[in-house]
Order: sequence, then structure tokens, then C-alpha cells
Amino acid sequence: MQKYINQQNLNTLLDTLITQGIRVVAPRMNAGTPLYEPIAGANEMITDQLPRRSAKEAFFPVCEDIMTYEKEGQKVTVTDIDPARFPETLLFGVRPCDAAAIPVLDAVFSWDYKDEFFLERRRKTTIVGLACTAADDACFCTAVGLSPSDTKGSDLFLTPLEGGGYACESFSDKGEALIANNKELFTEPNNSKSLPLAEPHTEKFDLKKVKAWLDEHFEDPLWDGVAVRCVGCGACAFVCPACHCFDIVDEGTEKAGKRRKNWDACGFWKFTHHASGHNPRDGQPKRYRNRIMHKFKYYDDKFGQTLCTGCGRCVRVCPVGIDIAGIVEEISKK
Amino acid sequence: MCDHINKNIYLPYLVTVAEVIDETPDVRTLRLVFQDEKVRDNFTFRAGQFAEYSAFGAGESTFCIASSPTRAGYIECSFRSVGRVTEELRRLEVGDTMGVRGPYGNSYPIEEFYGKNLVFVAGGIALPPLRTLIWNCLDLRDKFGDITVVYGARTEADLVYKHELKEWQERGDVHLVKTVDPGGNGPEWDGSVGFVPTVLGEAAPSAENTIALVCGPPIMIKFTLPVLEKLGFTDEQVYTTLENRMKCGLGKCGRCNVGNVYVCKDGPVFSAKQLKAMPMEF
Repeated sequence: MQKYINQQNLNTLLDTLITQGIRVVAPRMNAGTPLYEPIAGANEMITDQLPRRSAKEAFFPVCEDIMTYEKEGQKVTVTDIDPARFPETLLFGVRPCDAAAIPVLDAVFSWDYKDEFFLERRRKTTIVGLACTAADDACFCTAVGLSPSDTKGSDLFLTPLEGGGYACESFSDKGEALIANNKELFTEPNNSKSLPLAEPHTEKFDLKKVKAWLDEHFEDPLWDGVAVRCVGCGACAFVCPACHCFDIVDEGTEKAGKRRKNWDACGFWKFTHHASGHNPRDGQPKRYRNRIMHKFKYYDDKFGQTLCTGCGRCVRVCPVGIDIAGIVEEISKK
Repeated sequence: MCDHINKNIYLPYLVTVAEVIDETPDVRTLRLVFQDEKVRDNFTFRAGQFAEYSAFGAGESTFCIASSPTRAGYIECSFRSVGRVTEELRRLEVGDTMGVRGPYGNSYPIEEFYGKNLVFVAGGIALPPLRTLIWNCLDLRDKFGDITVVYGARTEADLVYKHELKEWQERGDVHLVKTVDPGGNGPEWDGSVGFVPTVLGEAAPSAENTIALVCGPPIMIKFTLPVLEKLGFTDEQVYTTLENRMKCGLGKCGRCNVGNVYVCKDGPVFSAKQLKAMPMEF
């Protein structure tokens, strides 16, 4: 279904939903940092900056309680989390690179054992994507087969138009329902042209070729070359829309506390460190190799998908200037 | 495929510590009984599978289930105190409560071993992942041919399950070869002296109609595989278990992989043939 919505009606839509008790998560400024966070009103929303972290945290929070415990003498009581943790949510203004990562993550959280923390939020959330009008040097969505107007992962997709307002197109029942339930705010599509969309300066990688090289080059001098300077800070994983590795830790006292699922990063030395002291990935190049392999080979082997959407965040935050796009490009030319 | 819809897959079962056994100065075995009667009656696993054991307030640790699936009503884990969780588990006393998630991972294809001779080769703290299978086989003794156990540790004190080694030594249907590293033997020592691969070579079990099950530190595995090869074992006749660091145990948290193989899902039990196809990342 295709529709048009002007800016004023869009603001009304978000404000109405918030009034109805629906949690609206959108890019907003938090102490100078743009993040996808719940907003109290449409006026808090910003659409001209890529949030510092990706939209995955709407489904997979940085830290999340997975149970609580209480001890009394030799007895322990464990309490499951409250299902009210997962309210109906509208995730709004999601960049195509962020929205595209969500269905990619479905694979790992739903194969075999079901991670309901992720999946229940998926069921309860409608994703509204927003076409991207500005790219920087780090953007490379086009290189991994996506684009600034890619609708993958979006239930409803908005494209900003010349003269204001947005062209809206729905791609799922949830998207249709969002329009149907608020039909007075949407009008028929008009002929306005889209604002000029972002043009990331990258050529498309031959991902099959990249994977074919990775299949054969677990041992290769390239790994030392690209990652010996990695400091193992893990920032790349924390800003990534597709990294899904996590830790499980207890926080609390002798008497009571909670068990939490926290984001983790394959760049940390402790990530694979055995109790014996042995570490199968005992150097930064081995850990960085795992990062590339996981994204461009292992996830493909397992789920037939690439674990990178070219958002460029890891390139922007890396303190030592490791450029994943440059590395994958180098591999694709081997 | 498992079906766990609408269930918190990270929620542990509560278990009571029923027995505490000190194996060595720093290795302890806990016998655990499920508190929920329904779980106690219905919990099943296969030899080789592992679980996530938790000390509430400290966190979870991954160990194999060290008891045999033939012994119903309880499970056992054996661990060395080396970190926050294991130190906390060590503090538990009989009657205390801890958590268990599992069973996870694959298992030994025990049915394929029926009618064959078995050679178990273990070093140090790596006996527990084989002990589950050893007792499983001993409890179904008629189904197997000769059973040989080659087990070694640095010193006499470091041998785990000492009371069971004695039992295996005394029953007539197990050939036990126990050894300690040179210098690790006291005046009363009645076993061999030498490293596990060497002692295995000297014991020279026949490869004919035999399966070898090997578990130990990486260095022991490295030197044991060529010995088995020399004795005529093919890679299809040799199994081991990998013990990578894990958190979820469910194929999600992303750290136990060896190449594209997830030890928690595709393992922990692998044949030497599978092992040799993997990159050196374990």
C-alpha cells in the first residue's frame, strides 16, 4: 500500500500513539548523543543524524535482566521476568542499514532454541524505516547489497519528498495496520519527487567471492596485517547493528540479585579465555579474524546471510582506524 | 530441533547439593538433585552432553554432566576452582541450592559402539567427560568388548575419582592403566610413571574393532592422536570432546565456535575426522 503523510500529520501520528500508551522509539538526542530511545513526543525526534548505536537495542538491549534470584538460608527462589517488559512499540525513523539488520538477527535468535527476549519484542514492534539522505565517507551499505532506500526489515517505509512530507509504502501486515488504524492522517500518494538520497562512495563487493576466499584462508598473513594494531576495545561490536554476541552475568549480593544478558565483543581477550588459561584466540589478529569470518562466512554458512549492513559505524568509532570496508574490498580483489 | 516457544530459555532448574566429594585439593564433585519432582523424574540426557551450572550471585559455568545417564535421580559435575563461579560453587554445602540449565550439545554415539572394544584416554581434570561414558558402558557391560582406561595426571594427588579408579582396577572387566608424570609418584604408587601418550603407546591396545575416546589438555591430545594413528586407529575410530568457553550453551552468544562449528550445538563430541577438518582454533 502506498500513501503520503505530511510532517504535521506524522507528528500527530507519533503523539497519538504515545497518548494511546504505545512506546515510540525514535532517534533522539541524549546529552548530545543521538540514540534510538523512547520519546515522550514527536518534538523530541531527530531525523537528520545517524544514531550513535544501532536500532538493534530496541530488541536486544545493551543490558537486560533475564531473571532475578533471592536466597534465604539454603533455599533460592528464582523469578522469571515480567512479560509486561515487552510493550507494544513503534520503532520509528530507522535507517535502512539498521532496519535491514533486524531480520538478519532473527535467524540466530530463533533457530533451535527461541530467545523470547528478542522474539517477543519483534512480535510487538512495528518498524518504520526512513530513506537516507546523507552519507559520509564511512557509509558502505551499497557495497553489501543494500541501499539508502532499501526497505528490508521495514514494516512501513518513508521516503522524504521535495516540498515536505513523506511517501509511505507498507511491506507487511503491521505496516498496513499502522496506516489503516490512522487512515485520517494519510492521503493518497502525490507526484512529488523524492529528496536526493544518499550516495555512499563504494562499489558493490562480490560477497560470494569474499566468502570463497575466507573459506580457504583461515591462516593468512592478511590477518596480522589488518589487525595487529587492534586494541581490543570492542567498540566496533557495540555500535554494530548485526553483532549479537553476549555474556551472561550475575549482579547482586549474597541475598538477592539478577542475572543479566549483556552485550559482549569478540575483540575482548577474555571472550574465549578458558578457565585453564588456554585461549584459542590468543592474539588480536585471531580475534579480528573471527569478526570478519563471522560476518562474511560463518553466518552465511549457518543462515545464508551476511552479518553486515554497511552502516559504517565500526569504521567511525575505531580508535586505530581499522576499516572493515577496506579490508573486505581488499579480500574481494584477491 | 527443540521447541521452546514462549519459554525463558535462560531460566535454570533449581537443584540441591546432595553430596560433596573432594577429588583433589582443588577439584570437587557435586551430586545434584532436582528440586522439582517433575523435573527429577523426567530429566534425561546422553553421555557427552554438558550443562550450565550456576552459583546465584556469581554466575554460570560450563561443565559436562559427569555422571552416567544410567544413574537416575541425580546428576554430577566435577570442577576445579579457578574463578569467581567455581570458587562460589566450592563454597556450597550439602543442602544448598544451585542452578542447572541443560542438557545441551550432542553426545557420544554410544549405540554405534555396541559390540566394539573401547579405549578411554584421559589426562588430569579431563576424566569427567569420559567418566560419564565409562559408567554408561559399564552399566551396559554386555554390549561392549574389552574396555581399557588409560588415565594420567601430573601427580598422584591430581588424579580425580580415585575411589572409582580403585573400583575399576579391582573389577575384572576393565583394564585400567593409570599413570603419573615423572616425579609425580609417591612411595606407595602402584601405577605407571610417564606421560599419557607414552603410556598409551606401551599399553598398545589393538585398533581392531575398537573405538578410542580421548579427552585432555590440548598438549595431551596433540601427542596422543599420532600414537593412536601408529596403533592403527583411523580418524573415524577416535572421538574427543572440546571444552571451549561458553555462555549461553544454546548457539546464540557467539564465542565457542571453532571456525563455523559451534561447539555448543555441533559438539562437544567430535570424531578425530571432524576435528582435523576444523581450523586450529581450540
